[in-house]
Amino acid sequence: METAVTGPGQAPGQRQDLGLGITATGLARSFGAVRAVENIDFHAAPGKVTALIGPNGSGKTTLLLMLASLLRPDAGSIRIQGIDPTADPRAVRAVLGWMPDTRGFWESLISREILTTVAALYGIGKAQARVRAAELLEVVNLGELADTPARVLSRGQAQRLSLARALVNDPSVLLLDEPASGLDPGARVQLRQLVRQLADSGKTVVISSHVLVELDEMADAAVFLSRGKTMRSQSLAEAGAQSRGYTIASLDLDMLRVALAEANFEAAYRGNLENGGGSAKVKLTGEVQAAELLGRLAGAGVPVTAFAPTSGLLEETYLSLEDEMP
Amino acid sequence: MSISTSPRAQSAAPALGYLSGIRTVFGLEIRQRIRNRGWYIMLGIWFVVVAAVVGLAALSVGEEGPGAGQVMFELVIAFVLFFGMLIAPALSANSITGDRANGTLAILQNTLLTPGQLLWGKWLASWVASLGFLVVTIPLIGWAMTYGDVYLPAAPVLLGMLAVELGIVCALGVGVSALANRTLFAVMVTYLLVAMLGLGTLIAYGLSMQLVKTEVNVANQLWPETYMNGEFMGDWDENNYTCETRTYVQETFATERITWLLAANPFVVVADAAPRSPAPVDSPMFSAAGPMGAISEGVRYSQAGPEFQIPCLNGVKNTVLPPIPAPLWPLGLGIQVLIAGGIVAAGRNRLRTPAGKLAGGTRIA
Repeated sequence: METAVTGPGQAPGQRQDLGLGITATGLARSFGAVRAVENIDFHAAPGKVTALIGPNGSGKTTLLLMLASLLRPDAGSIRIQGIDPTADPRAVRAVLGWMPDTRGFWESLISREILTTVAALYGIGKAQARVRAAELLEVVNLGELADTPARVLSRGQAQRLSLARALVNDPSVLLLDEPASGLDPGARVQLRQLVRQLADSGKTVVISSHVLVELDEMADAAVFLSRGKTMRSQSLAEAGAQSRGYTIASLDLDMLRVALAEANFEAAYRGNLENGGGSAKVKLTGEVQAAELLGRLAGAGVPVTAFAPTSGLLEETYLSLEDEMP
Repeated sequence: MSISTSPRAQSAAPALGYLSGIRTVFGLEIRQRIRNRGWYIMLGIWFVVVAAVVGLAALSVGEEGPGAGQVMFELVIAFVLFFGMLIAPALSANSITGDRANGTLAILQNTLLTPGQLLWGKWLASWVASLGFLVVTIPLIGWAMTYGDVYLPAAPVLLGMLAVELGIVCALGVGVSALANRTLFAVMVTYLLVAMLGLGTLIAYGLSMQLVKTEVNVANQLWPETYMNGEFMGDWDENNYTCETRTYVQETFATERITWLLAANPFVVVADAAPRSPAPVDSPMFSAAGPMGAISEGVRYSQAGPEFQIPCLNGVKNTVLPPIPAPLWPLGLGIQVLIAGGIVAAGRNRLRTPAGKLAGGTRIA
């Protein structure tokens, strides 16, 4: 996809050691008696896509609102591109794009007007705003709907318009709250490519989502939240090295059972009703062990039809964290 | 290439001019309003209602009646003011609560826009929208003008003050809207504030009467025989009387001490600000034909107090004309501006981000 989403044009050397990207430490925020965020440490590096993962009510949206300079933390500090949003919110907003999880729009305005209006609110001149709006509508594939009132956009179209709106000021930090919800499969693939492209052009991208498999494919790092606390921060490379569950399907469950028992693997088995086949779930320490086991099964003549991780990388961490939780 | 030591944001300083921000919000609001069909329906209903009222007034005044044009003109003003007080809260009090409910407020707040620019823009837009209701009554005002006896110097002042009052009500609405979480609540509070100005001032005035009760010595008026036996045909001269020597004590109210309570009433502000026609006013009796003139007269009568209201004070014929009282409307407008300004300032605080306190159960996104 050809896009005109240009990077902020900074030299690569500029990115290091200047506190660029997002750094947040010891964040806390409560709403009355509800402690939405208790203690969150968060870091997102420029040029990387950082996934924000956690169950409902774990503080993801509250964290994003604080990062977006809309909510004041009760404690802790935030630096967006080295700027403190509580001290200088306008400077932060100039470099920030925020896509909320609500898809609110001025319903009687057409898509193009929404983008030019937002551009005007960033101090972008009229002619330039028009060019920018047309550009962004192409980027999110809404070119044909430029003159359609926001009222009649479908959920997925509104979601894409919302993303275009977040990009109006060519932000160097991008916060996306559930950007994929409501998108059809094609649009999801496009979103993934676009997000990757934005990160590759040097932007700091933070993305929260429930669809973990999708994040696997675009995220470079992940921060797991639970009950307002940071449970774990890891890169996807680290996640790949951790032990995870594999599902092995075979035409002959008994042979598989014997082979796994010989190799000293504990497994949970499930047989098919109509034939002798079935599947086993085993825990493996990493990809090396997985390759080894597959070779051994094939060597023993077990008719293996599928051998794959049970769940995505991030899902695995997510589930293991759930096990750890009291 | 030298490596910059400052983050990018400091070089790309936020550049949104104050006026340009206001203009953008204003344009955004107005565009949404004029694309709303309900708005045109309301304007249509409005025109029909005001036209009906004015038409009926024209019927009752009659073609040849004295001051028919003035009466009709003032009726239009009074009705536009009255209905404007009813419509302006509805036009303004949803401007920010509506954005909160739609999730568009946070989008505005996340740009370079300041709370002040947001409020100015919203206020201007709702004011212009309510002025639309004044504009559609122009044909009716024109109709009144065709009678030819409208006191012209007062006309622009009446219209101007009417516009100012609508602006005050819109400011109340926008300010309350910034403070409230729900549109219904904001509209209701704005109505209560408007009622406080429109009716509350009257109630306060009425109830305060008891506080300024005084006793004065008065005597009965004696009129010439011809006035009393029903044969009098000439011009009635209301100063053609004498006073009885026997006086008695009568209770009266020193209204000059409480007239200021009426100052903030929108009708009083508009009526009091208008210059009065220079027709000789040689008695403290009401002489104005239209409703606004009557309000103006009434306020001045109240400002004069018993010293000028009682024809036989202490048994002495009292035809002294009250001095022209100091205008009341600057006080009234001042009070209104203070109330509206205070509420808008509080609303501005509420719109500041990053937000500190949030009302229970609200999401800011």
